[in-house]
Amino acid sequence: MMIAWLTNPSNAKSLALVIFFVTFVAIVLWVYGSKQRGKKLESYKNIPFLDEEADTKSAAGDKESKL
Amino acid sequence: MNFNFKHEWIETNVGLLLVLTMVAISIGGLVEIAPLFLIKNTVETVKDAKGLETIRPYTALESRGRDIYVREGCYTCHSQMIRPLKDEAVRYGHYSLAAESQYDHPFQWGSKRTGPDLARVGKKYSNEWQVQHLIAPRSMVPESVMPNYPWLLSTPLDTSDLVDRLRAQRAVGVPYSLTEIEYQNNVKRFGEAVAQQLHIPNAQQNLVKQAEEGNFDGDRSNITELDALIAYLQVLGTMVDFSQYDSDHFVTFR
Amino acid sequence: MASVSISSKEQYNFDVVRKFAIMTLVWGVVGMLAGVYIASELAWPFLNFDSPYISFGRLRPVHTGGVIFGFGGSALFATSYYVVQRTCQTRLISDALANFTFWGWQAVIVLAATSYILGFSQGREYAEMEWPIDILIEVVWIAYMIVFFGTVMRRKQPHIYVANWFYIAFILATALLHTFNNLAMPVNLFSMKSYSLFSGAQDAMTQWWYGHNAVGFFLTAAFLGMMYYFVPKQAGRPIYSYRLSIVHFWALSFLYMWVGSHHLHWTAIPDWTSTLAATFSIMLLLPSWGGMINGIMTLSGAWDKLRTDPIMRFLAVALSFYGMSTFEGPIMSLKDVNALSHYTDWTIGHVHSGALGWVAMITFGSFYHMIPKLWDTKLYSLRLVYWHFWLATIGILLYIIAMWISGIGQGVMWRTFDDFGNLKYAFAYTVEVVKPFYAMRAIGGMFFLSGVFIMVYNVWMTIGQAKREAAELDAKLAAKLARVGA
Repeated sequence: MMIAWLTNPSNAKSLALVIFFVTFVAIVLWVYGSKQRGKKLESYKNIPFLDEEADTKSAAGDKESKL
Repeated sequence: MNFNFKHEWIETNVGLLLVLTMVAISIGGLVEIAPLFLIKNTVETVKDAKGLETIRPYTALESRGRDIYVREGCYTCHSQMIRPLKDEAVRYGHYSLAAESQYDHPFQWGSKRTGPDLARVGKKYSNEWQVQHLIAPRSMVPESVMPNYPWLLSTPLDTSDLVDRLRAQRAVGVPYSLTEIEYQNNVKRFGEAVAQQLHIPNAQQNLVKQAEEGNFDGDRSNITELDALIAYLQVLGTMVDFSQYDSDHFVTFR
Repeated sequence: MASVSISSKEQYNFDVVRKFAIMTLVWGVVGMLAGVYIASELAWPFLNFDSPYISFGRLRPVHTGGVIFGFGGSALFATSYYVVQRTCQTRLISDALANFTFWGWQAVIVLAATSYILGFSQGREYAEMEWPIDILIEVVWIAYMIVFFGTVMRRKQPHIYVANWFYIAFILATALLHTFNNLAMPVNLFSMKSYSLFSGAQDAMTQWWYGHNAVGFFLTAAFLGMMYYFVPKQAGRPIYSYRLSIVHFWALSFLYMWVGSHHLHWTAIPDWTSTLAATFSIMLLLPSWGGMINGIMTLSGAWDKLRTDPIMRFLAVALSFYGMSTFEGPIMSLKDVNALSHYTDWTIGHVHSGALGWVAMITFGSFYHMIPKLWDTKLYSLRLVYWHFWLATIGILLYIIAMWISGIGQGVMWRTFDDFGNLKYAFAYTVEVVKPFYAMRAIGGMFFLSGVFIMVYNVWMTIGQAKREAAELDAKLAAKLARVGA
């Protein structure tokens, strides 16, 4: 009976909905579930500023001194 | 659930990120659009008492008129989709059926009514009114903001690639006939008079005949773009005789 | 050339970014000028001048194509190439291919605009380009994919920064949408004309799946990518919550594709499709606001800068309009509201609060940040940025207020019955009523456009200034070398 319900294409919508809702909850749990993981994830937000340093460095000193 | 899962797999592996993003964005379209192509009653079949389909592809002249409608971007201000709302029923007529645009490549339902809906404009106004209105809209409707289209009357209709145009539509599924077998099929589906009109080998003479008999732009000496456009406008929404059906017959298809 | 002193100039390919940045402004002027003109045609129809080439129906896709693909598209190419290089700390994988995307994309816009004026159109909104142009877009887009994904693969950072995710979703979705929506049969190999593969209800569904996701991925996701780089950079502080950005990225990418058929409420498609679309449209509010909140909270640590930094104002107002229009959208997707709002100017107003308020404002803010960096100089005038900001803001307000009044007015008048059960207002009468608001809208557009002209002048002077500085530096260096040589 379960199989019959699953193979009926008109149930695809509800099924897809359930699957993706579960996926979404899993993502949220995963992202917010652990403090350690959270810290790591949040550390990525500094990426846009990493190359700024390289930028100012090279702007400050001339290239020869860096090499 | 496997708790060794690391989102880093995704965020450090562009391949995986691409695949998962693709999955996420494909689902919606598949679930919503695929059924419309698979489910039969997306488009209802409308038949008359003799069992003939009353909704037919456009004749050669009407089809060329439709090309001009698309070319001039009429859909940017006029819809061709009447909704099942009371005011629209009074103003425009019976709500539009999916079947009525089943041969429309592309659809021209539109999204904006700067001007009124045109789904059932056919036969509402005389040819003379249409000519005058298309050339100088404000001479007929003072409030109108529609552009004048004088060039339609002065430009002869180009029919040099007529056959190619109909063949291209045939290739995407419009039942224009090329062979005797296809023609006979159309006779069964639409009746002989219509089947004649849909026969590509006769397209040129059919077009000339319809333009001369219809005299759409009021000048029989030549066939202009206006002839074609008005022929198209005059057939819009006229293919279903709604007096033949119960008022809620078509509701079952929605 | 000023290739001295800055190592990032060799490290990164800024040349193609500069070219796209300049063309963004060029297409901005062209597209918005066309917009102001067609808005004026509606208010004063004599402006059609009985000419096929400038009649409303042909000029309207010139406006939409010019601003979406010319202005928006070039802005996305420019910023995506800039952001991907800076956050992956690597150069674009191929200068030649990147250059090809530049020339290819400009050719697309020029050909599209010319073909519309000459009367070639697929007759499907925002996808009016005929088949040869569609094929060119496909080729350019594949080159774009190779450049962008290839650059991400070559990155020096192990982690792919979230802005790039949004650009990736945009690039993938656009490829998907463009390909399927433009399937068509040409009349013959030497004819521009083609007929869509689909017809009627199916064609409508495909087209609005495309149409709404052009909004969702081209005009939203991609510009969120822009936001996730330029807002933190301009505010001088990292994004408020990285975790929120992950969650709302997946939610947004998933939900957007479901909502297209809310453009087809009450039409001849099965009821369940539009109900489903309305439901998902409401849900979409959450990830949309997730993005807005993330941006606003990033700015909120730097409110003091709002007083002194007009660029920050552009970003803040852009985010506010993003929040506003992503709230208005789900409301309009409710079937009962849609019964009133559909086919009216309200839709036009809604689109423009998103397009002018969000897309254009975030682009202006990002460009004011990026352009001095590209040319290695300072902005010519902050005062002019203030002027631009106020002209743009007033312009948008005039525009959307005019469209709210005329749109809701149309919706209400069309459905009003008199005591005898007849329609109270003739259609022509409702056209007369909204005319003053069409004029007001055109004036709003003129305000907005004049702001863009100020930006063009400011950028022009900035580039001139950069060239002078570079020349001076070169001269000094030459003198030094000469002395050493002697």
